Amino acid sequence: MKKVMVAAVFAVALSILAATALGSANAPARAKASSLATASVTCGKLRTIGMAAPITGPASDIGNQQVRWAKFFVKRWNANKANRNQKIKLVLGDTQLGVDTAFAVKVAQSFKSNSKLLAVVGPAGSQEVVASTSAYKAGGLGFISGSATRVTLTDGHTDGNRRGYFYRTVPNDGQQGPTVANYMTKTLKWKRVYIIDDQETYSQGLADGVQKILNNRGVTTKRDSISQTASDFSAAIAKIPSSYQGIYIPWQLAPQAQAFGQQLQAAGKSKIKLFGSDGLFAPGVWKIAGSYDSAFPYNPADPAVKAYVKAHGGNGEFFGLPSYVAAQVDTLAVTRACKAGHGKTTRAAVRKQILKTNLASSLLGFPVRFQKSGEMKLPAAFGIFQIQKNGSFKRIG
Amino acid sequence: MISTPRQALGNLAGLGVLLLIWVVYAVYFSPTQGWTFFLQLTVDGIILGSIYALIALGYSMVYGILKLLNFAHGDVYMIGAFIGFGVLTLFGGPLNPAIPVALLVLCMFVVAMLGSGFLGLAIERFAYRPLRDAPRIAPLISALGVAFFLENSVLLLLGANYRNYDGYDLISYNGIHLGGSAGVFVSYLGVMVIVGALLLMVGLIALVRWTQFGKAMRAVSFDREAAAMMGIDPDRVIAITFFVGSALGGAAGVMFGLVYSQIYYLVGFLAGLKGFTAAVVGGIGSIPGAMLGGLLVGLVESWAKGYLNGNVADLVVFGILIGVMLIRPSGLLGTPALKKV
Repeated sequence: MKKVMVAAVFAVALSILAATALGSANAPARAKASSLATASVTCGKLRTIGMAAPITGPASDIGNQQVRWAKFFVKRWNANKANRNQKIKLVLGDTQLGVDTAFAVKVAQSFKSNSKLLAVVGPAGSQEVVASTSAYKAGGLGFISGSATRVTLTDGHTDGNRRGYFYRTVPNDGQQGPTVANYMTKTLKWKRVYIIDDQETYSQGLADGVQKILNNRGVTTKRDSISQTASDFSAAIAKIPSSYQGIYIPWQLAPQAQAFGQQLQAAGKSKIKLFGSDGLFAPGVWKIAGSYDSAFPYNPADPAVKAYVKAHGGNGEFFGLPSYVAAQVDTLAVTRACKAGHGKTTRAAVRKQILKTNLASSLLGFPVRFQKSGEMKLPAAFGIFQIQKNGSFKRIG
Repeated sequence: MISTPRQALGNLAGLGVLLLIWVVYAVYFSPTQGWTFFLQLTVDGIILGSIYALIALGYSMVYGILKLLNFAHGDVYMIGAFIGFGVLTLFGGPLNPAIPVALLVLCMFVVAMLGSGFLGLAIERFAYRPLRDAPRIAPLISALGVAFFLENSVLLLLGANYRNYDGYDLISYNGIHLGGSAGVFVSYLGVMVIVGALLLMVGLIALVRWTQFGKAMRAVSFDREAAAMMGIDPDRVIAITFFVGSALGGAAGVMFGLVYSQIYYLVGFLAGLKGFTAAVVGGIGSIPGAMLGGLLVGLVESWAKGYLNGNVADLVVFGILIGVMLIRPSGLLGTPALKKV
């Protein structure tokens, strides 16, 4: 008994020692995090924002679209004479989405350590947002993703709490899924739908959501999965019964959807219609006539959209468009924070300004304002588009 | 450099029994039963396997002559695909070709094969030849370096964008229906790939078996020093071997682009690994082994995707690689290493 008592006392003493040691070890880290958030930064004539995107790796196609759109905004901003004393410099970080979230964390850590950096565009993937949140929070940085759509990112508990730091300029999966399912069941009256995800978080989340709604409404569904790097779809296509009316492909790579559509046609199953998601909104790249797609109702008449499309040989690369808006929100927040601080600001002040964003109109086709959760205050309903014979996307719902 | 006919026959008999068991299970007992589905997957697997076989030949030829695993070969294949795409674009693209389609396709193959062949020559000259007498790990590291160099060069020069060949638009969506409209379908493009790959393989066998160069190649493969003493220039033979192997990789790149449409700068990575797997399964260094291995890998991948799931196809393919290595380390048609005692 005596031995047990001694052991218990020893254990308690050890725990207290450990807790004290950990506490003292964490204290400087917290202080440092706090100091990074509130450290004064001289704005100068060139302000720095970071952009975390998959520049290389399997998702580099969409990552580079995002980079091009963000750079396009910065170029336009810097070209404006009124901004000659408040220009923006975009620092890029390669997250290699689809390889390992460690790359996104390394980018976040380098951004955190860059004392000139005031806000961040990105990262692209929901899993990257989850992985890199602590680094961004430790650095006091606000970060705005143009493509991380997992619903739980903003609920404050499921995947961690990032409120006040994380924002997104893209409607989440919870808004897109029901729009798609409604259109399939109420307008197209589909009874049998084949669903194929591309094994990425974005795709699986949307596929799960739509499948659940369809099943609840008595629609027969079958599920399959292909890799984002797959090019040979012959086996997947052979499995699809000809009696199915539609195939839902919430993927992110439009060239992959194009290849899939062509192989579907070549296999004699062109009667089955394809239905994509906003990740496939790429007129001129995905051009299987008669296919459907859900996407945010961007404004094609906006001069910036027209200029971008013209500058890129007619290819709008619209998946990257929310990153333009994210760069815009960051830039405006930095500008306002610098103005309020009379040439000096802090990352915390920039974050406050992000929350106060009030864009009456945007390239997304609707105003951009944020809730405290980081979601946009939306009328941001998704539109349904159909691909025409000339490859253009026509809004039909 | 193949196993004795008796060994090869034994291996093939074992493989045949395994395949027979699989066919009976797939057709009669799997949840997705029926001949049509099985045959459709088999045809698709043969098309894919033909491409893997061409890639595997490049690995096997280089290994046979230099005992070098040329990990840059997958990227030579990728560059071949890009060259083919460049020719396609130069002549108006798939929807508005400026010259007759047959001529355009021929041009794509010829230019891609020449381009890849010369790239192979350059790689051999600058990355491998200086290391010919270095420890074996040195050229292996050099090969990995060349692979990354090629990938990143294409990324820098051409960007990360996917390019679509739209091969079905160029050639035809039509094909042959075997067993009626609900039966097995083989597109004309698929037929073209199978026939094209077969012709190239037959051509290679003829080159190796019945030409002076082929004899020199076999001599260098058997004993480089002895071949040199017989008046053969090993450097020249090795260079031409690289040219031929790389040209086959380039042809495979164009075939891949035509059938599966999308290419990008990392397209050679996984295809290269599969080609390497095919070469090892067939018996690296053996030309018939590379062909057999390519077909097997293509078939297994297609069946795995069809009967199981796309997620597990690579798991099955590389699982088989491990299995073959455990049971027969020298591959199905490879020669077991001789031990001198």
